[in-house]
Amino acid sequence: MSAAVTAAAPPVRPHARHGSGGQLKAGWVTYAVIIIVTLVSVFPLYYTIVMASHTNAEMAAAHPPWRPTNSLWHNIHTALQMAPLNKGLINSLIVSGCITVGTVALCTLAGFAFAKLRFRGANLLLGICVGTMMVPMQMGIIPLYMLMAKLGLAGHLESVILPSLVTAFGVFFMRQYIASAVPDELIEAAYVDGARPLRVFFSIVVPAVRPAMAVLAMLTFLMAWNDFFWPIITLSSQNPTVQVSLQSLATGYAPQQSIIMAGTLYGTVPVLVVFGLLGRHIVGGIMQGAVKG
Amino acid sequence: MAAVAPAEPAPVAGRRRSTAPRPAKRGRRLPGGRIGYVYVLPFFAVFAAFSVYPWLDTAWVSLHNVRLSTYNQSTWVGLGNYHELFSTHFFWNAFLNTLTIGIISTVPQLCMALGIAHLLNHRLRGRTFFRVAILMPYATSLAAATVIFLELFDPHTGVVNWALHLVHLPEVDWQGSKWPSQIAVSAIVTWRWTGYNALIYLAGLQSVDTQLYDAAAIDGAGRWAQFRHVTLPALRPTILFTIIISTIGAAQLFGEPLLYHNGKTDGGTMGQYQTLGLLMYQQGWTNDRLGLASATAWTMFLIIVCAVLINLFLVRRRERSGR
Amino acid sequence: MGRISTRRRRTTAVLAAASAGVMLLAGCGGSGSSSNSADQGAGSGPCGTKANTTVTVGLFGTFGFKEAGLWDAYHKRCPNITIKEDDVEQSADYWTRLKTRLASGSGLDDVQGIEIGFVADVVKNHADQFVNWNKVPNASADKAEFFPWKWDLASTSDGATTVGLGTDIGPEAVCYRKDLLKKAGLPSDGATLAKQWATWDDYLAFGKKYEASATKQAGSKFVDSAASIFSTAVYQGQEAYDNASGDPDVSSSDGVKTAWKYSTEAAQDGITAGLEQFSPTWNKAFSNGAFATLACPTWMMGYIQGQAGKAGSGKWAIAPVLPGGATNWGGSWLGVPTKAAHKAAAIALVEWLSAKEQQVTMWEKGGHFPSNSKAAADPAVANAKSAYFSNAPVGKIFGAIADKMKIPPIGLYDTQIQQALTTQLTNVETKGTSPDKAFSDALSAIKQVTG
Repeated sequence: MSAAVTAAAPPVRPHARHGSGGQLKAGWVTYAVIIIVTLVSVFPLYYTIVMASHTNAEMAAAHPPWRPTNSLWHNIHTALQMAPLNKGLINSLIVSGCITVGTVALCTLAGFAFAKLRFRGANLLLGICVGTMMVPMQMGIIPLYMLMAKLGLAGHLESVILPSLVTAFGVFFMRQYIASAVPDELIEAAYVDGARPLRVFFSIVVPAVRPAMAVLAMLTFLMAWNDFFWPIITLSSQNPTVQVSLQSLATGYAPQQSIIMAGTLYGTVPVLVVFGLLGRHIVGGIMQGAVKG
Repeated sequence: MAAVAPAEPAPVAGRRRSTAPRPAKRGRRLPGGRIGYVYVLPFFAVFAAFSVYPWLDTAWVSLHNVRLSTYNQSTWVGLGNYHELFSTHFFWNAFLNTLTIGIISTVPQLCMALGIAHLLNHRLRGRTFFRVAILMPYATSLAAATVIFLELFDPHTGVVNWALHLVHLPEVDWQGSKWPSQIAVSAIVTWRWTGYNALIYLAGLQSVDTQLYDAAAIDGAGRWAQFRHVTLPALRPTILFTIIISTIGAAQLFGEPLLYHNGKTDGGTMGQYQTLGLLMYQQGWTNDRLGLASATAWTMFLIIVCAVLINLFLVRRRERSGR
Repeated sequence: MGRISTRRRRTTAVLAAASAGVMLLAGCGGSGSSSNSADQGAGSGPCGTKANTTVTVGLFGTFGFKEAGLWDAYHKRCPNITIKEDDVEQSADYWTRLKTRLASGSGLDDVQGIEIGFVADVVKNHADQFVNWNKVPNASADKAEFFPWKWDLASTSDGATTVGLGTDIGPEAVCYRKDLLKKAGLPSDGATLAKQWATWDDYLAFGKKYEASATKQAGSKFVDSAASIFSTAVYQGQEAYDNASGDPDVSSSDGVKTAWKYSTEAAQDGITAGLEQFSPTWNKAFSNGAFATLACPTWMMGYIQGQAGKAGSGKWAIAPVLPGGATNWGGSWLGVPTKAAHKAAAIALVEWLSAKEQQVTMWEKGGHFPSNSKAAADPAVANAKSAYFSNAPVGKIFGAIADKMKIPPIGLYDTQIQQALTTQLTNVETKGTSPDKAFSDALSAIKQVTG
């Protein structure tokens, strides 16, 4: 599996040519490598579909099946009856949506300040922030629950949203990106024109760092969507995120892997939709616009 | 922490700097300083309440003998947990495994991610699709992925051994033996995180002005030279960022080895792929020794700080000698 | 994090279960779930309250109350009560969550499932946080109906406080592949096997014959794992992992000593398949015949059917014997936290669930063997046969074992201790580690748990 990916390692640029869009045009080698990488990336998701439509015994056969069957729909239907998946999906959309918006907004703001503004202790604050990324947070779960219980938030979605609303990762990521992607000349010019800092931020910085914001949004959304250990401690099946609601699938009588996989699959679909929406924001050519504007 | 200072991108190592927008120069920041506090305040407010507090609490717990069952009856043991940690072979075994798995999984991963990002930066049909597709491993449930990797690496029926057999190589015990099992775990890690890093690089590439490539081409630079003198310098802050993130991620790795042993926290029957992150998980949740696990957490923190500093030092030295 | 069935289930864990009542042919008509046993609830009326109430029930693994139709039945009986489950698949995750909530005193469900793997911890450290069933009039009156050891495991050593009412137990027999034994030219009917597998020495000797057979299925082994022998035999001692006061006592326990002897002997004789229990390879072996026998508590019947599917029907059978004497694997209780929001309703519900009629239903619908001895004696249980397991008289087999079971003391860390020992057994089987080295490695891992 990994052998296939290795082929992509040397950063060759086959048939590179500068097109009118300013980007290099892809040759067939590029396509071939990218298609292989894509297949390797997507295969487990495909296999999830296969597993979701076959019983344990079928999957244990000497020649396991490679194609999904129609029982997939039936299994998804069963999963929906067994677990509050739809409620989980809605809650997860709320939770992941809030976390994503909060993280992208607050981290872009802070990242901009760290990258472009001069203020005392900036390095120290950034250092603290990066430093906490190095702390394994797992053991913090118990004091966090005690805190949430005291605030009366345990069991509520807020208890999942609040701690993830900002990430040191996000600040550091945006800071690094803004440092290199937004030329000082642009900002200086804006100041000369008399723009206020907040306006500089929205009219210069935000358009220039849109690709990074889109990437941060995708990564944050996914992390929030798949988060399991903290939500399972604080939430219950009455008010679950999708990962918590999936827990009900494997309980009851002898758990069926196909039903669990069907539920897992159902819980992944919204992620794909969000990706489709965000993916097109990671495109080039924005710098040109920013420079000219 | 001074550690972050070198993150400032180096000036583009090319000619014709004057015509191109360029990254900020070292040590120079724009006016409007005071407002900076306002910008970082919301971040730090949330951060202090829900991250720093649990973190400091962990430090306190690491000096006590605590179990979750008897959480309110902790006893002070001073540095006893640290002493116990360093005096068992479990810690040193996990430490070395974390180091080796970290290297096996991170280095190829970042190189591949850079290459993939570079390819994806071409003008492609279905560009959005491919860009989203490489993030799929991160979106796929880790459990589903592990089922597949366990199949692939099954010593008896797995495809990998079948392929080895086909080319007359000896079959390998991918689960029981030390190095093969570490390679298998690293393969899962690489599969999962390559697209993630590629996407971060891709975002970085968006900020590279393509005129720089034109300029370099006019100056007679070949493709490799363009990559070295335009792409790499422009991506330097991003590369540094991914190195730091990956170092931290590798040092905290626990999900993949956990699932590779069917959810058992021992990292293989002989601890052959036990990592520090998994050891902490085992101590804290399986063995219910929160004090010991917290001591491990803080030890890990110090190790990670050292690892990041070493990486920064290496990168910086390369930067200097590379000029 | 993963949450699929291939992830290991805790060894002592899990009341896994049988897929539905199809397999249990009740010998005579089951008794309906009539409602007369627990009628005088703690509060107002049989339902504990007259107000409209939603009772939350925190469960893990495979209890199967909902699937057996008991929630619907209860709602019919008490129309003002609605029951909502709060599930976590892995009992380890469930237990971490329960401990966190007990420590903070918030977020507890009205009813909490308690498993044999952590009941000792609940009794020792949290007895004051659960309703004491000795003080609940109905429950304490029904005390005599439960197997005494079942009641005692959930009680403090002075017997004054009891934290939960029993749901099911896991009497063990041996499940075997009839077709594989036949193919190897060995006897395959239950009665004969019961005689030939009376002791562990007999069982291992039989295993060697299987291993030596020229006609057995290629690559097939007699028993799934040394762990299977170990974790059964260890509970046949006077002590398993703990002494009478419940403190860990691995190195001088007679149960550990005997179990280690037999399991390493089997490993070194090469009659074990060396599979880790509850791993994907082990799961597959139920259908591909990599092993012929395994120690089999009642809930394992459901697990086997889940893994082997329809194709396994009639190939599997159950021998009315457990080498070395009768013992138990698994089982659970239901407790009500004193901080439960709907305590009276929860108490009424737990009393109803653990009453005879409902335990009979759980056996018929889910293969959970009753912890209520009156339910175990009910014809619907005692006369049950399993079509899947070659029409084995499962009611009689497991009933006889349940009556004779010896239960050694249990302690706080049994799950982890057993895990450490069985992991090392895998090394003896697959890596040729010497039993002595394996044992000392296990002890050092256990030291990490006990501190």
